[in-house]
Amino acid sequence: MSTAVTIQGLTKTFGPKYAVRDLDLVVPTGSLCGFIGPNGAGKTTTIRMIMSIIFPDSGQLSVLGRPSANDSKDRIGYLPEERGVYRKMKVAAFLTYMARLKGQDGGAALRRKVQQWLERMSLTDSAKKRCEELSKGMQQKVQFVAAVIHEPDLLILDEVFSGLDPVNRRLMRSLIDEQHRAGRTIIFSTHAMYEAEQLCDRIFMIHRGVKVLDATLGEIRGRFDPRLIIVEPDIQNGESIGPRLESLPGVGGVHTTREGFELHLAEGADPRAVMGAIVRDTPVRRVELKRVTLEDVFISLVDSSGGEGETAEQLRAAIGATGNQEAGA
Amino acid sequence: MMTRIFLIALREFTSTVLTKGFIIGVLLTPIIMVVAIGGIAMTRNLKGPQVTGTLAVLDRTGVVSSGIVERFSPEAAAAEISAAQRAVTQAIDKTLDQAPIDPAQKAMARGMAKGEVDRTLSKIGRLTVNVLPDTTDDATIQTIKDALARTDIHAAAKDPSLPEPTVGLIIVPREAVFSAASSPYQEIQSFWPEKVDFEIRERIHRRIGDAIVDARVVTDPKLAASGLSAGDVRRLLERPGAADKVVTQHGEKESAGALQMMIPAAFMALLLIAVMSSGQMLLTTTIEEKSSRVMEVLLSAVSPLQLMLGKIVGQLCVGLLILVIYSGMGIATLIVFSMGHLVDPFAIVYLLFFFLIAYFIIGSMFAAIGSAVTELREAQTLMTPVMLVVMTPWLLWLPISRAPNSTLSQVLSFVPGINPFVMVIRLTGSEPPPTWQTLAAIGVGLLTAAFCAWFSAKIFRVGVLMYGKPPNLRTLVKWVRMA
Repeated sequence: MSTAVTIQGLTKTFGPKYAVRDLDLVVPTGSLCGFIGPNGAGKTTTIRMIMSIIFPDSGQLSVLGRPSANDSKDRIGYLPEERGVYRKMKVAAFLTYMARLKGQDGGAALRRKVQQWLERMSLTDSAKKRCEELSKGMQQKVQFVAAVIHEPDLLILDEVFSGLDPVNRRLMRSLIDEQHRAGRTIIFSTHAMYEAEQLCDRIFMIHRGVKVLDATLGEIRGRFDPRLIIVEPDIQNGESIGPRLESLPGVGGVHTTREGFELHLAEGADPRAVMGAIVRDTPVRRVELKRVTLEDVFISLVDSSGGEGETAEQLRAAIGATGNQEAGA
Repeated sequence: MMTRIFLIALREFTSTVLTKGFIIGVLLTPIIMVVAIGGIAMTRNLKGPQVTGTLAVLDRTGVVSSGIVERFSPEAAAAEISAAQRAVTQAIDKTLDQAPIDPAQKAMARGMAKGEVDRTLSKIGRLTVNVLPDTTDDATIQTIKDALARTDIHAAAKDPSLPEPTVGLIIVPREAVFSAASSPYQEIQSFWPEKVDFEIRERIHRRIGDAIVDARVVTDPKLAASGLSAGDVRRLLERPGAADKVVTQHGEKESAGALQMMIPAAFMALLLIAVMSSGQMLLTTTIEEKSSRVMEVLLSAVSPLQLMLGKIVGQLCVGLLILVIYSGMGIATLIVFSMGHLVDPFAIVYLLFFFLIAYFIIGSMFAAIGSAVTELREAQTLMTPVMLVVMTPWLLWLPISRAPNSTLSQVLSFVPGINPFVMVIRLTGSEPPPTWQTLAAIGVGLLTAAFCAWFSAKIFRVGVLMYGKPPNLRTLVKWVRMA
């Protein structure tokens, strides 16, 4: 398996504060890797180090087979979190300028390419407008085009969904998907976990500069057992069902919701056995084993207990769990 | 790598030069200056307020009043004007001859001088002299003084129907003419209403003074015996003029006088304008890239050093353009006035050389400051050291251009930062410095420029991605150590 980005023991401090601490990461070529963590976790710092915009205190990096991104900037597309445009520059001129800085030859071919991208983004009318005349959403589209116009092998998108409305979010998702299908390796960072869940095939989670999870989406689902069953009863017999469910073996607790019940599984209970028992014993319209979301995983890994000491303990446990998982895989 | 620097430089240049602000700023400034200078010249040509009325003269000597009356007669006034014009014309001719100007320009300069003389003399207008009898007592004098206190000289000048007022009282004491050889002649006393122009008082004093001197000559027994007239004595006492010539290895040439002093100042100003305009723009565009958050997008394509170099080269071209436009205008003006020879072609080569050095010193500092802050107003405190470097040459221009080879000038030629400006003043001055000093100064300049570029590149690399609280000088030094 070839790798697009390899990071080993990367550490970066700002004054006394660790921004990133002893980080290891492997991004396989062609993968769509979600880089998630809360604000201030160290995502942007890591990405900037991958881009050789800032340099690590210690540790090793390899980007597209080279020790520094500076050697292959033309093959990388980067959409930083702090992104902007030249306010006074015309849209088409800005895109041409960025493409040429990325090593594309100027001329008719580039002009055509810019034109095509503007058409895709429904920005044809804006080609001759100054960037400052565009709305924020339109500017974000222009920035995305600037990041991909030179057809990079590796695309790094930092907080790409922030500030987008639902329509443009959907457009951005389809664009990222399209770039992925075209064979590009994509790393995208976000603090909105559901975005990552919808897109990524690999998740990389960090918290306070330390890696807490590194696995494929399937591995994560396999590891974090679902412990919740949703039951929607048949309307006629609704009232009597609650106590009956509670008495089933393996059920730890029942919580009544608007639509029905949520069953929390007891320690060591097998969800399939419990679900079978529910279907046998009670008239129900729907029984569902609730999937674990990345958010649940993250919260369970990092933030559930709230106390500083407990959090650190949990982090250590999580790193151990990840190690076991990898060892087992 | 070179392509990227070129692309950045090209964008920097076009985005600066192809704006209304630049075109208006660079082209309109000299036009505004010419119009302003013309305007000032025109206001000087406006005629001042005229004074009309009577001048009361109390002559205690008995020998001066006739001379005074004669000097205020219309014929004498006309003669005085033409004599003054002749004197001014001669003085101007001398200056102009030394700076060989085209005859048409000389005629123009002479015309301006004549206008100036006319303007001053015409202020006196019509003044009649009223000689008071020698018997006039103090009470009468007091009455005249009281009348002066009430006189409005301008009202009388505007309205001819009003009776002519008394506009001044002159008392000539006996000792102003008759004095023992050992003691000085006494002053005359003069009394004026408010608002009498000092030029008018000066002109009146000169006429009366001349009449008194004439009276002294005529009444002096020894001079009377010699048969010399007042005119003869005046001629004898006239100071001779001097014809300046500068002797060089290529022969004699006329001295350009004061103009020669202006050339170094002009060169230094040119250097400062070019360096400061492009430096300021470098600051502004860097801050703009930071505040519009386009910086990190750029850094994904180029390294901070490439970005900084590209920007510096781009604005260098802007500075060169300004230099070419302004020096071209200046040289064209000199050629039109047939004074092209005042500028040594070598001076222009040196100007270019020192422009490059000064630009790299100041430009890279501006780039570093721009990278360190997020808003223009945050840049103010950090700019103080740069502004000091830039202001110093203005303070030093006069002492250096007066004595281009003094110890001060020689020492300043090697002070990093200001030495390009000092050398430009010295090189275009009347005594060019020794060649070794020029070369050594270029060496110091290049070293300074290299150091500033290195220092700034370090700040730039760290600064471009720093947002938030603007740094102070200590933080900047920390960044340099960090980078």
